[in-house]
Amino acid sequence: MTELVRLTDVTKVYQGGITGALNGVSLSIEQGEFTAVMGPSGSGKSTLLNLIAGLDRPTSGDVVVGGTNLGGLGEAGLARFRRDHVGFVFQFFHLLPNLTALENVLIPAQLKGRENAEARGRTLLERLGMVDVADRYPARLSGGQQQRVAIARALINNPTLLLADEPTGALDTHSGDQVMALLAQLHRDGQTILLVTHDAKLATRQASRVVSVVDGKIVDDARLETMERAASDVVRVRGEETSR
Amino acid sequence: MSLKYGVLGLLAEEPLHGYEVKNRFESMLGGTWEVNIGQIYTTLQRLERDGLVRPVGARGDRGKLLYELSPSGRKALVNWLAQPDSGPQQLHEDIYVKLLLATRVANGSLPALLGRQKRAYLQRLRDLNQLEERARRDGRSDLARLIRGALLHTEADLKWVDELAADTHGGKTE
Repeated sequence: MTELVRLTDVTKVYQGGITGALNGVSLSIEQGEFTAVMGPSGSGKSTLLNLIAGLDRPTSGDVVVGGTNLGGLGEAGLARFRRDHVGFVFQFFHLLPNLTALENVLIPAQLKGRENAEARGRTLLERLGMVDVADRYPARLSGGQQQRVAIARALINNPTLLLADEPTGALDTHSGDQVMALLAQLHRDGQTILLVTHDAKLATRQASRVVSVVDGKIVDDARLETMERAASDVVRVRGEETSR
Repeated sequence: MSLKYGVLGLLAEEPLHGYEVKNRFESMLGGTWEVNIGQIYTTLQRLERDGLVRPVGARGDRGKLLYELSPSGRKALVNWLAQPDSGPQQLHEDIYVKLLLATRVANGSLPALLGRQKRAYLQRLRDLNQLEERARRDGRSDLARLIRGALLHTEADLKWVDELAADTHGGKTE
């Protein structure tokens, strides 16, 4: 296994005591892992994700992704890093309303100077079951469809790392299930995924590793067995037996 | 208690003999409740004694006896199904007692116990997630609903352990 992400003694302090600070966090993530970062709101889990994504800088400590120490990059360098290595999926999709689904998907490719990405964009939308609505505007898509477009956009540049911050938080159960099934499929195809959620059911659904963050610290790092088990080994229903 | 009504419920669909009751009961529960054939026969005999089921015809092949629901059995079943579960909550798992003893017997080992318990709950959540997905894939939405109940219970257990851990770190344990 190759190490993809390494955080060493990372601290993030916000002026004015805003919550979400991190306090001496160290973490290593291997390529191909599906890791969930779980914690209550304000625990620092989204801050952790933003630091790995290069959206924010630590107050102290090192963030190394794919061999690059993000601390050594200037603003332009960080923007390039994000564009080339990171796909980001947010709770509230963040699609541009005046562009079609396909046009939204193609934005990161165009930023990279790849003008001929349309075929790949359509292939991605097809893979996500969205090719029929490629030319629709976001307002005409359901929440679940918008999130799938956002996932396609996150994947267009073949990111080394896919980061998802509460990706089902704004979706109904059925659409949320579809998005999680999609992330599971991407993981099976080799995608490294880091999922941030406050929901333990979601964290344990596909991830084989659950990192718990509380008050800016990692308090637990659990690796789960993924082997399927017999129903009787997992849950037993038993009524109270009476002798009469 | 539920085994008795489980048998009545299955016989409400059609007359069955003991082995069929066992197989259908276990399959209904999706492997989450295994019963031995002796329990089934004892239950059927008690239900017959109480007039809730009755044998149909004579013993067939290898002494098999078919049972059907009597009118009073049907009434008892309908009544039972309409009643909410209002008895005391059952806490079967050892963790509740371990928690009380950990602070008395092995002073200071509580955080370690809570940490290990948290991992066990996370693993159980993972396994239940898989089980729920499998049940849905198999078209067993009834079983998926049962497993969903177990999932939500485990989520509550996890929150409880997290809360205890936070209390312990904050020095608030008595």
